[in-house]
Amino acid sequence: MTTPRQHLADIFVELSGGSPESPLDSPGLLAALAVRSRELLGVRACSVLAGAGDSTDAAEVYASEEPARELVLDAHLRQQGPGPQCWDTGRPLPRTDLTGLMARQRWPYYAPRALALGHTHVAARPLRGRDRTVGALVLFGSDQEPVTDEGLRLGQSLADIVAIAVLRERELHRSHTRTDQLEHALTSRLAIEQAKGILAARKSLSMDESFAILRGHARSHQRKLAEVAREVVEGRLAL
Amino acid sequence: MTRGDGYAEQAASAYERAAAARERAANAEEAALRHDAWALEPGQALHTEMAAALRKSAGCHRSSAELQEAFARRMTRWAQGHGAVRPRFMTGVAEACGTRSAALTLVDSGNSQLAVAASNEPARAAQELEFILGEGPTRDAVTHRGPVLASGSVIEERWPCYGPALIALGIREVAAVPLDTSLRRLGALAVFDPRPGLIGTRAFAEVVEALTRLVLLDPDADPDLYGGTDHRDVVQQAAGMVSVHVDCRVDDALALIKARAFTLAMPLESLARSIVSGDLKLTPEGPS
Repeated sequence: MTTPRQHLADIFVELSGGSPESPLDSPGLLAALAVRSRELLGVRACSVLAGAGDSTDAAEVYASEEPARELVLDAHLRQQGPGPQCWDTGRPLPRTDLTGLMARQRWPYYAPRALALGHTHVAARPLRGRDRTVGALVLFGSDQEPVTDEGLRLGQSLADIVAIAVLRERELHRSHTRTDQLEHALTSRLAIEQAKGILAARKSLSMDESFAILRGHARSHQRKLAEVAREVVEGRLAL
Repeated sequence: MTRGDGYAEQAASAYERAAAARERAANAEEAALRHDAWALEPGQALHTEMAAALRKSAGCHRSSAELQEAFARRMTRWAQGHGAVRPRFMTGVAEACGTRSAALTLVDSGNSQLAVAASNEPARAAQELEFILGEGPTRDAVTHRGPVLASGSVIEERWPCYGPALIALGIREVAAVPLDTSLRRLGALAVFDPRPGLIGTRAFAEVVEALTRLVLLDPDADPDLYGGTDHRDVVQQAAGMVSVHVDCRVDDALALIKARAFTLAMPLESLARSIVSGDLKLTPEGPS
């Protein structure tokens, strides 16, 4: 590998999600993985196939160039080819000759299309997350730009870094959503109780009667109870 | 004798959550083994870190399972008619910290208390002091996003209003740690007179993380902690009423109620109840 060490280190940092202050989102990470792998490994083309669910669910595809992206997207839709296979099994797919019998038998639709794009062999490495595979890195080679053993090792390292960063980003996102939901539920409850108190004092009602008025207004105006309550609390709505 | 009202169901649900947590722990351990194997491949040292993170996560799931099981055992006995006080989930959390007093406080983005789950009366009273006075260890732990530990005279020095009042509750040491959900603040766990040397141990970190997961992050999370979380509904109702009586904003009415409770040395809840029942009408000058 002729790549200077510093350049390699920079790419590792980029692929591990950037800095905590300005993290790359998962599409950004996956796209960077495809482009950087092509650049670092010196192969003909790279594609990244990944998704939030299983290998047969919806997926995103990124690639170092458009024809490779279309090829892998089509492979995913047909569930045929090295990308879907590697994602499904979670195991590396060794370098495979696209003109060979195995490729033609196993991938009757895919192999000729890949050959037509000028690729002679292909390999894939899983995106191994914490406890499951989240996608695959597909490496395409030709005689001039072959997929080497060393390239495959480095490719797995890059794939691992990105897989972990993507999962961390998804976890973070989920945690934010749930924290927001919990805070919203708690502040809504607070506003509703306060609004009940306001109506009770203003109209000399019981808390239950006040609640019935709030709920009745929300229903007849097809609005959320908490929204109505907030407006009462802020003095923007007099019931 | 057995008690009704779904107590046996709560125990069953706690056992189910414990089983789910044990399964998550087993999955994490299994995944750690896989990463161990990958770490042996050349250039794959990253997986050593992943394996360590997964083992940490497994420890937290086990801690979560233990808390659920402890609660389930208590609830089962209670449902069968044993014991005088209904078990609280936080009792088990306090016990895991080597004390009887612990409180979980959930806050909004402005660090105002939204809900409190306390193991016993001193822990509840301590959180109420923070709520009334607007200062204290829980607040500081959330603001600074790090643990707060104070004992003896430091308590009074650090929090001039809260400190003496806390000491008056018979508490000599307090520790508070934020519930960390990365960028967002959710709340904090406060423990009073904890087992010496507890803070900073892995076991304590696991309890805190387990609590974060079981009130928020787990798929079966229960922010209400089996009905043990107090939302101060009556206090909020009273604030709404006082805002009408005094003709002020609800926030100001709440501040008025807090101030009155503090000067009368009365629990907020009791004061709020007398306002809601109409027995007490607050005015800016004083109770009438």
